[in-house]
Amino acid sequence: MLNLYGPDGEIQFDKDKAAARAYFLDNINQNTVFFHSLEEKLDYLVENDYYDLGLLDKYAKEEVKELFKQAYAYKFRFESFLGAYKFYTQYALKTFDGERYLERFEDRVVMNALMLGQGDAELAKDLVEEIISGRFQPATPTFLNAGKAQRGEYVSCFLLRIEDNMESIARAVNSSLQLSKRGGGVALNLSNLREQGAPIKKIQNQSSGIIPVMKMLEDAFSYANQLGARQGAGAVYLNAHHPDIMRFLDTKKENADEKTRIKTLSIGVVIPDITLELAKNGDDMYLFSPYDVERIYGVPFGDISVTEKYQEMVDNAEIKKTKISARELFQRIAELQFESGYPYIMYEDNVNKVNPIQGRINMSNLCSEILQVNTPTTYNNDLSYDQIGKDISCNLGSLNIAKAMMSPDFEKTVRTAIKALTAVADMSYIDSVMSIAEGNKRSRAIGLGQMNLHGYFGKERMHYGDEESIDFTNVYFMTILYNALKASNEMAKKTKNPFDNFENSKYASGEFFSKYIGGDWGPKTDKVKGIFETAGIKIPGDFEWVELRASVMEHGIYNQNLQAVPPTGSISYINNSTSSIHPIAAKIEIRKEGKLGRVYYPAPFLTNDNMEYFTDAYEIGPEKVIDVYAAATAHVDQGLSLTLFFKDTATTRDVNRAQIYAWKKGIKTIYYIRIRQMALDGTDVEDCVSCML
Amino acid sequence: MKTKLVTRPINWNKVEDVIDLDVWNRLTQNFWLPEKIAISNDIQSWGTLTPEEKQLTMRVFTGLTMLDTIQGTIGSMSIMPDARTQHEEAVITNIAFMESVHAKSYSSVFSTLCSTADIDDAFRWSEENPYLQKKADIILGYYNGDDPLKRKIASTLLESFLFYSGFYLPMYWSSRAKLTNTADLIRLIIRDEAVHGYYIGYKYQLGLAEQSAERQEELKAYTYDLLMELYENEIRYTADLYDSKGLTEDVKKFLHYNANKALMNLGYEALFPKEVCDVNPAILSALSPNANENHDFFSGSGSSYVIAKNEATTDDDWDF
Repeated sequence: MLNLYGPDGEIQFDKDKAAARAYFLDNINQNTVFFHSLEEKLDYLVENDYYDLGLLDKYAKEEVKELFKQAYAYKFRFESFLGAYKFYTQYALKTFDGERYLERFEDRVVMNALMLGQGDAELAKDLVEEIISGRFQPATPTFLNAGKAQRGEYVSCFLLRIEDNMESIARAVNSSLQLSKRGGGVALNLSNLREQGAPIKKIQNQSSGIIPVMKMLEDAFSYANQLGARQGAGAVYLNAHHPDIMRFLDTKKENADEKTRIKTLSIGVVIPDITLELAKNGDDMYLFSPYDVERIYGVPFGDISVTEKYQEMVDNAEIKKTKISARELFQRIAELQFESGYPYIMYEDNVNKVNPIQGRINMSNLCSEILQVNTPTTYNNDLSYDQIGKDISCNLGSLNIAKAMMSPDFEKTVRTAIKALTAVADMSYIDSVMSIAEGNKRSRAIGLGQMNLHGYFGKERMHYGDEESIDFTNVYFMTILYNALKASNEMAKKTKNPFDNFENSKYASGEFFSKYIGGDWGPKTDKVKGIFETAGIKIPGDFEWVELRASVMEHGIYNQNLQAVPPTGSISYINNSTSSIHPIAAKIEIRKEGKLGRVYYPAPFLTNDNMEYFTDAYEIGPEKVIDVYAAATAHVDQGLSLTLFFKDTATTRDVNRAQIYAWKKGIKTIYYIRIRQMALDGTDVEDCVSCML
Repeated sequence: MKTKLVTRPINWNKVEDVIDLDVWNRLTQNFWLPEKIAISNDIQSWGTLTPEEKQLTMRVFTGLTMLDTIQGTIGSMSIMPDARTQHEEAVITNIAFMESVHAKSYSSVFSTLCSTADIDDAFRWSEENPYLQKKADIILGYYNGDDPLKRKIASTLLESFLFYSGFYLPMYWSSRAKLTNTADLIRLIIRDEAVHGYYIGYKYQLGLAEQSAERQEELKAYTYDLLMELYENEIRYTADLYDSKGLTEDVKKFLHYNANKALMNLGYEALFPKEVCDVNPAILSALSPNANENHDFFSGSGSSYVIAKNEATTDDDWDF
């Protein structure tokens, strides 16, 4: 109904509210198990193995009761049908037969607070406040699983290396199964694997390259689904200078042979600066055999900076090379993005130039926002571990920008969020994949994200991508960075336990802070200055940064990584936010959900009066989106999922131009490319709002 | 209808009717193959359907396969000789090919979701169902007739009207969060059929304008007659299929809506009043052929990607 115009041509927002209300009356309320009191409910849930008793036992009975009271006193109501629907179909605890609901939103919030508080009632109270108010929203795996006796893991995202040997490849398939089963998306780096036709045991023309490995992984992900909650999902990354690069891209072609076609595995390309330089000059680019490179340099291909060693490798006769046109590679990538949205792109040198941690970043993840260093694992002949390396995991949670800006204590909001995410890192130890368990133990990496940026712009009457909005983005993200570092520093100080290898980071040397001290990062426009003044939020200046630098250099920080801006799918609907820091895809979004089919979602804060600020992403165009992301990127240690939107009049050249512009502006990764095709005149559905707007 | 005395090579640099080029571009951009969609992700969902629902779904799809078979092998070919321009011929070859792709994609849905015995059953049903057979007979009768404009009328009614009693069901499932990947595939088909119906209807209108007033009247009357003939059969076909599920009334509204659409494509007034066309909005929204839905890797491939227009970058683009 929402999607069809009302009699006077207005959008029928009330239909959405009506749908939400009807959903409660007809479905939720009637199918919720009733309890007379909280005690009865908790006893029942624990006795019947729904809730984890160990968790509740960490708190006094009174404390638990108090938290539930606090949550229910807030009088939470879902603001859209999709929010309510998503919550009850995906998140709420149901009876084991799946027929009836055992939880309301408030219960889920309290279980999260109890779990993340780890027995600290004061922290749990803060968490209830931050989550129920919508300021902080844990990512799906955490929000979904907290406190349940039958559950998956809390961590969102895993990244695994694969080394060029059979043990490592087999382990990668095994680990993918294990991690999918536990509820995370998994990305794998294929760059180290020898190419098709490379020698095996010195015999030429033996290896079948990376495609069969992709096939195995794809099957592994289809097999493992997360308690039926969602399908397993995986991504693979490959360096642009790997000899199999074209075959890799062709797996996503519309007319690819069934034997090589990859349907459900996501793919990403790692692009170093040199590739863009070569394309600029119209030159061919050389692809290097990873087998030879590893033999000569003694390190896997993925750990080499191709930009740095390019000429050297070209000149080395012992490295087998092939060449392709660099510009054609970019065109092929763009062509593929039209057809499938893939590949993701990671600008390797943009990433590593600003990486404050010792080591090299050679891959990203399923949503292209996780960027951390890793080290290889080696195996004994009996497949046991010889040396356990460091693989990457990241648990995420996002602040709702509009609500965080209204926080009575902004610093506390950020601190509480950081503590919540750190709690997950501290509690997780996935020993079926030791490289993940160890990596997490040593780095305690977390990813604080942001969402509802466009909703906030609409509310404050700023246009997405104009001067004021970019100014706001810059100041907001700098303020987040400052407070996040401060919180992590306090934890390190308290535990006297900074992350592993802190001493070799740019935080320890103080180098990280030099751009802020004496830098000109404050607000440029009166509007933004005013916004922060009214909100009572302190913008860090030289004094604050100098002080923080001293404290960080002395005590360290607890988390190796702090920020990553995810695309926020489901949780932004529950939280009534626009996704991530993207512009809206449509005033009323048609969303395809694997398990739900098509669902409609009006942009948060959109009314029939303020439509002019809700221009959609296709109208806004890629440049402005990149500008906003560039402003945020400057203050985010990991990455940001950046989707670019094009109208169907665009050609591959327009996509290439946007990619070049993004790279120039220091963007680290590009997530999906989306193309909007309108129906030919005369073929569309009459009076459908999402078509007309 | 023109007779070509000399054989001319097709010159796309001299396009007589710009609609030909538009439609060609749109159709080629929309090119797809059933392998694109991971139908296997629907296996779980398929398992939640009751045996009756499964049977209904398979029958509906067999019915659709039948129509696409006719359209791909006979229908599109039969309007080819009447093409007004060479470019129109080229467009029709594309239409014919895509119809065959459609016919094959139903098979890939079957083979992924159902057992061979069930599939054979459904195909047998299609051969025995009187309404489906009658529907085919009517259309084939006109395709084999000798009036080119009447062939176009039949073709447009097939593309814009007859398919939709079948399309209803996957859209219905999709609005109930079932078989969503299959719905994606059907949406791709609908995306194509919408263009086909529009295009053939448009060509019909061009031809019609050249006719005498008398003949125009005759064709108009003929259109409505044929529509009514098909409609009456279609109602029985619909009842036969959907009565068990209690959806017949809802499907009828959908038929009315699409019958009007088909008439519009042919340049005629709507026949059914608005009141009997109030299609369930859930179905209408699921149907929209625009490629603007949003999805991610957890949700499958979606129906919104298109073939790229390639354009090389120039030195200016690389200015950094």
